[in-house]
Amino acid sequence: MAMKYICRRLVHATLLLVAISILSFALLQLSPGDYFDAMRMNPQISAQTIDGIRSEYGLDRPFVVRYEHWLVSVLKGQLGFSIAYNSAVGPLIWVRARNTLLLTSTATLLAWFLAMPVGMWSAKKRGTWGDRACGVATSALLTVPDLLLFLCLLLLAVRTGWFPAGGMMSEGAAPLGFWSKAKDVAFHLLLPCIGLALTIVPMLVRHIRSAMIEALESPFIRAARGHGIPETRVLYRYALPVAANPLISLMGFSVGTMLSASVLVEVILSWPGLGPLLVEGIFARDVYVVIGVVMLSSGFLVAGNLLADLLLLANDPRVRVE
Amino acid sequence: MSQRHKLRAAVLLLAGIQSLILFAGFFAPYNSTAQDRQLPFAPPTRLHFFDAQRKFHARPFIYGLKSDAVNVGAYAVNTDRPFSIELFVHGAPYRIAGLFQARIHFFGVEAPGKVFLLGSDGYGRDQLSRFLYGGQISLLAGLIAAALSVCLGILLGGLAGFYGGWLDNALMRGAELFLALPWLYLLFAVRAVLPLHITQSQVFLLLVAVMGLVGWARPARLIRGVVLSAKERNFVLAARGFGASDRYLLFRHVLPQTSGVVLTQIALLIPQFVLAEVTLTFLGLGVGEPLASWGSLLSSLQQYSVLSSYWWMFLPAVLLVPLFLAYYKAADALQERFKSVSL
Amino acid sequence: MARASLSMWASSAFLLALFVAITCPQALAGEDLMVTENPLGRSGGRIVIGLRSEPKTLNPVLAADDTSRDVIRCMTADLIHISRETLKTESALAKSWNVSRDGKQYTLHLRQGLHFSDGQPMNADDVLFTFRIYLDEKNHSPQRDLLVIGGKPVDVRKVDEYTVRFNLAQPYAAAERIFDGLAILPAHLLEGTYQGGGFAHLWSLTTPASQFAGLGPFRLKEYVPGQRVILEKNPFYWKKDRAGNRLPYLDEIVFLFVPSEDAQVVRFEAGDTDVLSRFSADNFAVLEKQQTARGYHLYDLGAGLEYNFLFFNLNDLSAKGRPEIAKKQAWFQDLRFRQAVSAAVDRDSIIRLVYQGRATPLWGNVTPGNKLWIDTVIPHPAQSLDQARQLLQSSGFSFKDDGSLVDPHGMPVEFSILSSSSNAQRSKIATLIQDDLGKLGMNVHVVSLEFRAMVDRLLNTYDYEAAVMGLVSGDADPTPEMNVWLSSGETHLWHPEQAKPATAWEAEIDRLMQQQMVTLDYAKRKHLYDRVQEIIAENVPVICLASPNILVAARDRVGNFRPAILDPYALWNIEQLYLH
Repeated sequence: MAMKYICRRLVHATLLLVAISILSFALLQLSPGDYFDAMRMNPQISAQTIDGIRSEYGLDRPFVVRYEHWLVSVLKGQLGFSIAYNSAVGPLIWVRARNTLLLTSTATLLAWFLAMPVGMWSAKKRGTWGDRACGVATSALLTVPDLLLFLCLLLLAVRTGWFPAGGMMSEGAAPLGFWSKAKDVAFHLLLPCIGLALTIVPMLVRHIRSAMIEALESPFIRAARGHGIPETRVLYRYALPVAANPLISLMGFSVGTMLSASVLVEVILSWPGLGPLLVEGIFARDVYVVIGVVMLSSGFLVAGNLLADLLLLANDPRVRVE
Repeated sequence: MSQRHKLRAAVLLLAGIQSLILFAGFFAPYNSTAQDRQLPFAPPTRLHFFDAQRKFHARPFIYGLKSDAVNVGAYAVNTDRPFSIELFVHGAPYRIAGLFQARIHFFGVEAPGKVFLLGSDGYGRDQLSRFLYGGQISLLAGLIAAALSVCLGILLGGLAGFYGGWLDNALMRGAELFLALPWLYLLFAVRAVLPLHITQSQVFLLLVAVMGLVGWARPARLIRGVVLSAKERNFVLAARGFGASDRYLLFRHVLPQTSGVVLTQIALLIPQFVLAEVTLTFLGLGVGEPLASWGSLLSSLQQYSVLSSYWWMFLPAVLLVPLFLAYYKAADALQERFKSVSL
Repeated sequence: MARASLSMWASSAFLLALFVAITCPQALAGEDLMVTENPLGRSGGRIVIGLRSEPKTLNPVLAADDTSRDVIRCMTADLIHISRETLKTESALAKSWNVSRDGKQYTLHLRQGLHFSDGQPMNADDVLFTFRIYLDEKNHSPQRDLLVIGGKPVDVRKVDEYTVRFNLAQPYAAAERIFDGLAILPAHLLEGTYQGGGFAHLWSLTTPASQFAGLGPFRLKEYVPGQRVILEKNPFYWKKDRAGNRLPYLDEIVFLFVPSEDAQVVRFEAGDTDVLSRFSADNFAVLEKQQTARGYHLYDLGAGLEYNFLFFNLNDLSAKGRPEIAKKQAWFQDLRFRQAVSAAVDRDSIIRLVYQGRATPLWGNVTPGNKLWIDTVIPHPAQSLDQARQLLQSSGFSFKDDGSLVDPHGMPVEFSILSSSSNAQRSKIATLIQDDLGKLGMNVHVVSLEFRAMVDRLLNTYDYEAAVMGLVSGDADPTPEMNVWLSSGETHLWHPEQAKPATAWEAEIDRLMQQQMVTLDYAKRKHLYDRVQEIIAENVPVICLASPNILVAARDRVGNFRPAILDPYALWNIEQLYLH
């Protein structure tokens, strides 16, 4: 039964990805200008030469033909050809995806690690000044645009010198041994990680808090308290599993957004992940790179959703009955 | 504080802030586009109560600024001539609600003095005035987009939940599609396609429409959830047994159940959409110069030089916090109020 | 006896060679190195430089973007080089050259005994091979068009092992300058692949370092995707200093990828990079405060070659069918309208507010940084709204009671100005102009578009009304920019690719530019080009606004840092840089 459900969802997921690819292709096709338009402003290059280069890359062929070529290339694992980098998109993406995953997974872990106790405590101490202070803090963090937050962190890094101002590794670190390199990378990871975690934490805290509050107000908790079970046990052993339901879908969402959440952070703090690649690709109209990155992130998103639904299925027997 | 009081307090606070913004023309000392090219990036004007002779003045006053000819951006306070703050002064003309023209401003100083309570931007425009005028655009965008989103959410989520089956599946997959695409970057592409002759108000409406249309997915899912459970309620089944049509059931019995979720969603979505408008304009996709919106106020902070040298450019972001807090408080209060009803 | 003398010859030859090798450790036998005049420096060390984006390729023939060119320039050398300090040509790989009397034949004598970075010798065969590749249409090299003179590609012939002859179809004043930037490629490495047709994939970023060979001061050591490119010293480089030490002084150069200018400023301030090339005036003010504390020095070199301007759509739109814009073109094509706009623009505010005073106002297309070619006679009128109003009224425009401007048919004057969203300075300029023209009663919108979308509108669809753009000449000489001023040119921005000149003054500019292209005498060329500048200033097809100063910065420990106003501003003498 579960297998049928999984199969059905997988089919849906594939269809979704195909739809996204067509949509992104079409949207990028719609936007005026292509990669070689930048060269047109150079008075020393003739339009003829540019047209020649353009046709060599197949940019003047019709939409369907190009989509077909791209599809074939995907099946071969190349994911298309990047005009800007003059190489297949696949290798470009894998390296950077690894860096992005490193950043986002650490940040997500950090965020959950911070948000869980704060959310639970806030739910327990509901209505007190501590809870209200938490509320103000999370709202304040929510209102500040992410871009601004990252810029401030950058400013902090430069002015105080406590953090490196960007990049993933220091210059002299390359020839060193594994552990020194790992320490160096970790040091560079700190700032973007903190920045990203700060954008995830407020919403998480709010969700955890409301889920816990709802769980704590249900009758069986009152019964448990009535039985004399100590408060901490009530919290962790009784309320948390019930509150876990919405939290699991949240976790699924977190996994889903692992490749897309960090775009801004990577661009501002020069972390060599998918973010700068995507942004540069969009501005340079490097079509296949953009689509490759979009597809990869969408793939993650769909996988994350599926994971969340499966976990829900496993965790909550009520869902299985439906 | 009881629920009703909490809700009332939040709504009152919101109403207060919104009316300040609605009557921006009156409360703001200057127009949002008036440039003063001699005073770019002027720091916030300090209000003085004690003059050079240590005499106390009940009415606060300010000093003018002298710009340093050599260093652009460095200012020296010119203590020669104090300008006192006057209430209800005659200033630049403005329109109330686009209809009535008026010239009276809540406060101001005599020319050639300039009072920049929140400092000035790179063109010498008063940030406080731009904040109030900008609020009109940003808040309106957030309101309209939230309303659009929620309406679409009710429509699609309600249908999906009520009828179920393939409609439900299709709509939910559609929702996933909308949530999956990186809209921000594809919006850049779409902006480039738009024709040139699009006026500022059309850009604004388009921005709002896009945000609203893109954002239906989340409220739709929530409403669908409520509808799913609501349609199994006893009184709905009873009404069906009595031969009520689908439309009647939907509008009279099921959808009213969602009112709690809808109201909470609106209260939560408005600040989210305002923030989305801020981010979009921040990145160059929203209303263009010289119109002010909160996004354009903060967009100059993208430059490192502004970020590190002119701290007062952060103030609009700081001022947004109490506003959004009020919205979140209202959302919380609404949630509580409707929670006790829906059980 | 014969055998003994043979072995004696052999051993004495060996001893002689050993002697030469020991006493002249810096030069291999027979190398004709160029002696540079810079202050002496010490060997060793590495510097870190920030790059705005990743290089796309390391193939000099195919590279079109600035970043790739920056890196390639350090790895390759050309025959004749334009000195960035004097803006005149100087010898490079070609030690000397003769020009025939009619100016159509250039005979270049190469330095002898030079080697590529992999140790293989360089001679005329490499030059021939190089030009064959550049001229091959199948390669679609962006530099091919430079080598097409008078409609025919340059004819390259080998005279002997170290002499090459170039035949041009017509005399060309800027012929020597063509060679700058044309990297000489190693035939021994690339010929095989080229014959096999695989040239397009040669020398990409994934090629292992051992497969590169160039004549530049550095050679590729390592490329880390997404992070950095490391170049190491080329032990066979063909320049030495006055003391006989082979250049370059530095052991390594690291190009770090830092994606935005602000991030570059931040990393420079933090000490991650040693050289900061060409940044904006706002960041100058920020960096100035910490100069002494953080051990770096800022340089304001004065006006460069960039000129920013406002221009209107003067295209013939009948084919494209844009009636709304066509109606407004009646204003744009009116000379007095354009002159009024030029009179109304507040250039001083642009200099002060956009460039913090670090720019020069312009009324013509040549900046004061181009000392050889600027026409100093062009008038520089101050901003005058009265003058602008007079001009408009004399052309039939009138002002309504509320101050708004209407044209002779009663239509209110309203149009949009395009600006690129990625260039903050030009967007600011557009906003200031909007305000200035607002004082004239014109209702102006600023439309901020992404760069490629904007170029598409300007050069493909002609769907725009006015735009703020900037151009940076790659060279001080007027000829490389001909396509901007020729009416048939593809970058004749306001009305490109005309079949025949639309106006008398454009026809006159065509004539003058064609003539200066083939005139070899500098004074006569200057006279012709002065006239071109005057025509442009009178007819204002482009309303020139400002030229930003060239601003660079370097850490104090970088020696021989002598930035110039021509690209590459900070690294043109990279072989002479050293660390204190």
